[in-house]
Amino acid sequence: MDQLDGNLIDTDVLVVGGGSGGLMAALSAKRHGPPGTRVTLVDSWLIGRTGHTAFSNAWTIVALPGDDIDGILHEIVAGNDGIADQELVRQSLIDSHARLKDFEAMGMHFGRDEAGRYKRRPTRGLDLARVLYPEGGGLEFAWKQRLALEAEGVQLIDRLFITGLMRGASGDRIIGAVGINSRTGEFNVIKARSTIVATNAITFRSGFVRDITGTGTLLAYRAGATLRNAEFSYVRPGTPKFYFEGITFAIQEGASWVNAKGESFMQSYEPEWGDEADVPRIARAMAMENRKGNTPLYLDMSAIPEQLREYFIQSKVRWMDNFFRKLGDEAKTDMFGKTPYYALNQMTKMGIRTGADCRSDVPGLLSAGLAQAGCANHFAGFHIGLCVGNGWIAGRSAVEDLDTAPQPSLDAAEVRALHAETHQPLNEQGKAESDRILRDLQAVMFAYDIGILKREDRLQNALERVSTLSDEFKTIAAPHTHELVRMKETEAMLLAARFILGASLYRTESRLSHFREDHDQRDDNNWLVWVDLAEGGNGPAFSKTPIPTPYCSVVLPRRKPSRLAARQSVAGV
Amino acid sequence: MIENIELEKCTGCGICDVVCPADVIHMEPQPVATEIKGLRQTRLLPVIKFREHCITCFSCEIFCPEHIVDVHPSVKNRPRPW
Ligand SMILES: Cc1cc2nc3c(=O)[nH]c(=O)nc-3n(C[C@H](O)[C@H](O)[C@H](O)COP(=O)(O)OP(=O)(O)OC[C@H]3O[C@@H](n4cnc5c(N)ncnc54)[C@H](O)[C@@H]3O)c2cc1C
Ligand code: SF4
Ligand code: SF4
Repeated sequence: MDQLDGNLIDTDVLVVGGGSGGLMAALSAKRHGPPGTRVTLVDSWLIGRTGHTAFSNAWTIVALPGDDIDGILHEIVAGNDGIADQELVRQSLIDSHARLKDFEAMGMHFGRDEAGRYKRRPTRGLDLARVLYPEGGGLEFAWKQRLALEAEGVQLIDRLFITGLMRGASGDRIIGAVGINSRTGEFNVIKARSTIVATNAITFRSGFVRDITGTGTLLAYRAGATLRNAEFSYVRPGTPKFYFEGITFAIQEGASWVNAKGESFMQSYEPEWGDEADVPRIARAMAMENRKGNTPLYLDMSAIPEQLREYFIQSKVRWMDNFFRKLGDEAKTDMFGKTPYYALNQMTKMGIRTGADCRSDVPGLLSAGLAQAGCANHFAGFHIGLCVGNGWIAGRSAVEDLDTAPQPSLDAAEVRALHAETHQPLNEQGKAESDRILRDLQAVMFAYDIGILKREDRLQNALERVSTLSDEFKTIAAPHTHELVRMKETEAMLLAARFILGASLYRTESRLSHFREDHDQRDDNNWLVWVDLAEGGNGPAFSKTPIPTPYCSVVLPRRKPSRLAARQSVAGV
Repeated sequence: MIENIELEKCTGCGICDVVCPADVIHMEPQPVATEIKGLRQTRLLPVIKFREHCITCFSCEIFCPEHIVDVHPSVKNRPRPW
């Protein structure tokens, strides 16, 4: 390997991705490992200041002592239309109180009332679950964890963009990863006995921080892992001009979705939940309204008293604070009622298939955060709730594996091949064209009649367009490291698009965010299964895995939220 | 999207570069005015290198100790679904 410039790092547990999943996995590995266990956490940018976690509100579902954990589990499973790992969800809820105490020991503060009780809020689409919110939002939440990891002796490496997983000389397990410094392009080889991928799910850069995308799930796929939940997506209402994080809050306080005719339309699509339906169901209603010619659609906030609107503006995390302040009056007029909204695909729910122990099918490879396919629908507060939960479990499993994991032994030919593959698109004469291809990909995937209202012929057609784009992609080059990283991300998006369309064709029923016009009923007899996909030699091979139901044996209909009537009277509905 | 950095007041600390999650800002050697004619001097200063990739996260503005970075709240080039 003497001809290759770069760094060689040797560790026991490697965690890739420094969001809530990766931060917690690293902490857990350090805590569960015997003294001297080497834990390394890498991220393509600054750990604690990037990823969705850092920019989120970091609302977190926590089950406090006395809460009805099985009831919450039941409603999460029901709200996933059954597509959830019950064991993992339940364990995450059980552990959530202990993690809350860990966070407090790191110096985080969660809102409390005068009597010292935690301030808790209900969350959209769930009835029993309650979220807690840390002061300072995601920026503080992630940074305090970074500081805690430093104090516990975890090795933190910023600006390391992972480009491949290694199988090593024996070839039968993952023995670490390779990557480049995301600024200088310098090559790095990291040997590890356990590798946890926590790079989040793939997004299509649809605005604000969802421009940050993960690539780890596809690196895992290439290394032999199985992926699941590709047919499900997170499609969220948004505006063309700015990003409003707080719709959940607004709706709880009485905001309502209205169409161009001024009709409050959610009730007709979701009679039980109305405006409090969770995101995929709102997105579908928006697409239907669009089809009926009832757009533009608005979020009518007139029912919210003036002083509460001020509260929205002031109670946000730091970036939101700057955002609202700078928007000034525009925030009050446009944002509260005059700006049209549409539904925009934010990310796929595709993740790495693991057991409830977060181990993938490939020895040595584990997964945490949203890169792990634990749920197909997460609700506000359970994205992070589950990331924290599965991060803790993944770290513990990774350490348990150290007892039996052999010392990794590098395969020089493999490292050279990964080095060549990583740098292959680099060419100083290249023109940085991945954005153009991405825009075309967005046009395919964001169309309502592809991404939300699906049908076989249209999905096939979209697959062909994605395939043409992938061919075109092979001809472009990266003039510098910045574009090289963007290209690797775009490549992951192209592959993800193929998997999303393929899985959407495969599941011939409707469920959750997957709505097939040509199979518009939910079919529990045939489809209470996960759709898994793995490399089949000539592209992805799809298969069904029955979902174990150890705690909720039948997927009961979702119950009507007990607070809906109260909310409706506030909103004057 | 990031609009401007008031370079006259910049200390060159590099925080804006380090915290940017989209690789927009790069610290690069920039010529600085010197009193002696003909003497060329450079200093590391932030350059907005890939403005089109700014994700409007405000981190550079929030964490700049001199409060001289200006990010505008509107998101440009936002994709639409149809
Ligand atoms: C504005 C906003 C508000 C939100 N609010 C809430 C909320 O209040 N409550 C809630 O539960 N959820 C919320 N969410 C969702 C939640 O933040 C995310 O789902 C969750 O944080 C995901 O955590 P993660 O660890 O899986 O991924 P991330 O936090 O995104 O971390 C993944 C990390 O992996 C890194 N990475 C990716 N690819 C590579 C690679 N190849 N090499 C190295 N590093 C890589 C990325 O840089 C990133 O830092 C919100 C999301 C957003 C965007
Ligand atoms: S707003 Fe965010 S993405 Fe844009 S330049 Fe500043 S730190 Fe970078
Ligand atoms: S953070 Fe502020 S002072 Fe520091 S280099 Fe950037 S602009 Fe200059």
